Amino acid sequence: MAGSTPVVSQQYNYAVIRKFAIMALLWGLFGMSVGVYIASELAWPWLNFDIPYITFGRFRPVHTTSVIFGFGGNALFATSYYVVQRTCQARLPSDFLASFTFYGWNAGLLLGVISYMSGITQGREYAEFEWPIDIAITVVWVAYFWLYLGTLRRRSQPHIYVANWFFMAFILATALLHIFNNLAVPTGLFSMKSYSLFSGVQDAMTQWWYGHNAVGFFLTAAFLGMMYYFVPKQAGRPVYSYRLSIIHFWALIFLYMWVGTHHLHWTAIPDWTSTLAATFSILLLMPSWGGMINGIMTLSGAWDKLRSDPIMLFLITSLSFYGMSTFEGPLMALKSVNALSHYTDWTIGHVHSGALGWVAMVSFGSFYHMIPRLYDTKLYSQKLVYAHFFLAVIGILLYIIAMWVSGIGQGIMLRAFDDFGNLQYTFVESVAFMHWPLVFRALGGALFVTGVVIMAVNIFMTIAQAKREAAAIEAKIAAKMAGAAA
Amino acid sequence: MSKADPSKKSAVQTTGHAWDGDIQEYNNPVPRWWIWTFYATVLFSVVYWIIFPAWPVGKSYTKGLFNTITFQNSQGEEVTTHWNTRSRLIKNMQSGKEALKQKAYLDQIAATPIEAIIADPEKMAFVRSMSKVLFADNCAACHGSGASGVMGLYPNLVDDAWLWGGTIDDISATIRHGQKGYMPAFAETFTDHQLDAVAEYVVSLSGDTEGDAAKVAVGEQIFKGQAGGCHYCHTQEGTGLKSQGAANLTDQIWTVANVPDAHTHEAKLNAVKRVITKGIQREMPAWEGRLSDTEIKLLTAYIYQLGGGQ
Repeated sequence: MAGSTPVVSQQYNYAVIRKFAIMALLWGLFGMSVGVYIASELAWPWLNFDIPYITFGRFRPVHTTSVIFGFGGNALFATSYYVVQRTCQARLPSDFLASFTFYGWNAGLLLGVISYMSGITQGREYAEFEWPIDIAITVVWVAYFWLYLGTLRRRSQPHIYVANWFFMAFILATALLHIFNNLAVPTGLFSMKSYSLFSGVQDAMTQWWYGHNAVGFFLTAAFLGMMYYFVPKQAGRPVYSYRLSIIHFWALIFLYMWVGTHHLHWTAIPDWTSTLAATFSILLLMPSWGGMINGIMTLSGAWDKLRSDPIMLFLITSLSFYGMSTFEGPLMALKSVNALSHYTDWTIGHVHSGALGWVAMVSFGSFYHMIPRLYDTKLYSQKLVYAHFFLAVIGILLYIIAMWVSGIGQGIMLRAFDDFGNLQYTFVESVAFMHWPLVFRALGGALFVTGVVIMAVNIFMTIAQAKREAAAIEAKIAAKMAGAAA
Repeated sequence: MSKADPSKKSAVQTTGHAWDGDIQEYNNPVPRWWIWTFYATVLFSVVYWIIFPAWPVGKSYTKGLFNTITFQNSQGEEVTTHWNTRSRLIKNMQSGKEALKQKAYLDQIAATPIEAIIADPEKMAFVRSMSKVLFADNCAACHGSGASGVMGLYPNLVDDAWLWGGTIDDISATIRHGQKGYMPAFAETFTDHQLDAVAEYVVSLSGDTEGDAAKVAVGEQIFKGQAGGCHYCHTQEGTGLKSQGAANLTDQIWTVANVPDAHTHEAKLNAVKRVITKGIQREMPAWEGRLSDTEIKLLTAYIYQLGGGQ
């Protein structure tokens, strides 16, 4: 069925994928390093150096934007273009628009990062871009949607592979979320300041409807799309269950939209919205796990691959962290658990078990599979992949355990009473308690970044090796041609 | 449709499609345990929806069954309502286990004169326990977690010196109404020569003998006369006036001019001169309305016994 194509790189637009992949790594290195820096600022506040541009308040959106939209976004552009072209056996309909999405997306992010450091922000979590950048991003996103849909329409296969459903859901939902969350009125045509169209509780609920679905569609559905291609491909085995993939896909995208309000438990929101958010979060547990089951069970019967293939280690470990954090999430969405966990580091730990354990690990695994194929070569070093893997896992574990200690510890301190019925601890005592967990968190993050540095070196050497090989082949052909001509 | 036996993997068929050469999908059924666990979460949610406020209906919402909260409203009447966050908090504050424990002590505190509280070790144990958090959450931002203040900015509360008076009534009034500390700036008033002289005199007041006697004498003239008018607030003796919040300059306690950290006579003079030229403008906010009467009473007793209350 699959027509044999000798020159793959001409059949598909690989040039834009290579660019996205490299930018993903660069944004990852930058964003994660900033993360380690702000984590260190929390442990040692003097690191602020009283320089406004690098204080926690301004650097934090630089970190989140760089890792979510810089690393994650570029990784998704790269892998989704790779997956949609290969599973449809069709080239992206426009090279120009593909380049436009690359330059547009990265320029928007760069402007965003600079604006945050200068103090220009909407103050909406994970959507801090002010309105001109929001509009630019919308244009890029429409181009992305058009390219993706266009490739699907040109497919030479009758059926659309499951990975593409997830990518499509991600693109559509992100457009919806981005537009409605950013409805704002600028104070002037040339002003970088705007005010949200919504106010009070409605504004908070819109913000978290966006915020949680950024997690749901950007960081979950899209990366499940990545998983659905790279896990079976790397394992060389069929996906465990087609039926499960249909059911969990529809359940996931239907249920996710309801749960954002669980970020606002015990605030001024109406109680009934709180109840719906909590229960829909519980309902979301099994649909989330559907993806994990399908991924991990795909390897069933070939578990030995975990001993010999470090890429498979990355992919399967990412699914384990995915399973863990999607179990922890619904738990924390229950009002009684949330009363303890909210406003503490437990939330930060939870986010990072998903962001580092799932999103980053599945991207690393996919990149180790994809990049050598983009350059038609082999990975420079398997040993470095192992080194990256162990640094990453130790880093993540150190990070989330430190945050459990810090978060649950602080939560318990803030609700502890003494024999008189008085609060036992002051707020500042709970802050002092958090010092050591915060130190270990920064250390965990540093280990994780070290792993990414090793990956960058490995990828750089792989690309250099590919260029050498290509040059050698060309020289050989040239020599042959010269021989034939003589 | 053939029933797939889970023990025989080989019996499972793929869906018959292949993408990108080799990606296929098995047609395995959805795992039983997955389905049953999903049903369990549905059941959990339905029960939750029955008990708690859940679904919007028109302009209202389902209130939840078998789940009411009874509490006293501000008029002292018993009110029963469907479960909701606000009533739950009110009820908890009225009749929660810890709240009742605390209330028993607070009632005693409210009913006991403050002098009697300070004399009673058991009541003072409660005062210290509750005030620790009250102080940390309301006062420590300026006065420091140990209440020792910040030199030049916020008064030290653990020493014997009281700018605004250290009796129980003084302390209580300060917390309740706040204070505005003010000393005019003399940069425009004094010549350099006068400034030197006044500084020499002020430093000499607390027993420092290093200064030049002639300069001290000139400074004294300015301090006690019309030229400086310092005595209006600091008194002729330099012992300060609590009605103005003016510091006693004759003790060795310094709260604004950082004389204790100055190691040479010159440095001491400079520290004092800085205050004289720039003056002082500082404010402590009023806590009445933010803290209850009982809380102010607790903090008064706490602060009274921290330093040498008078």
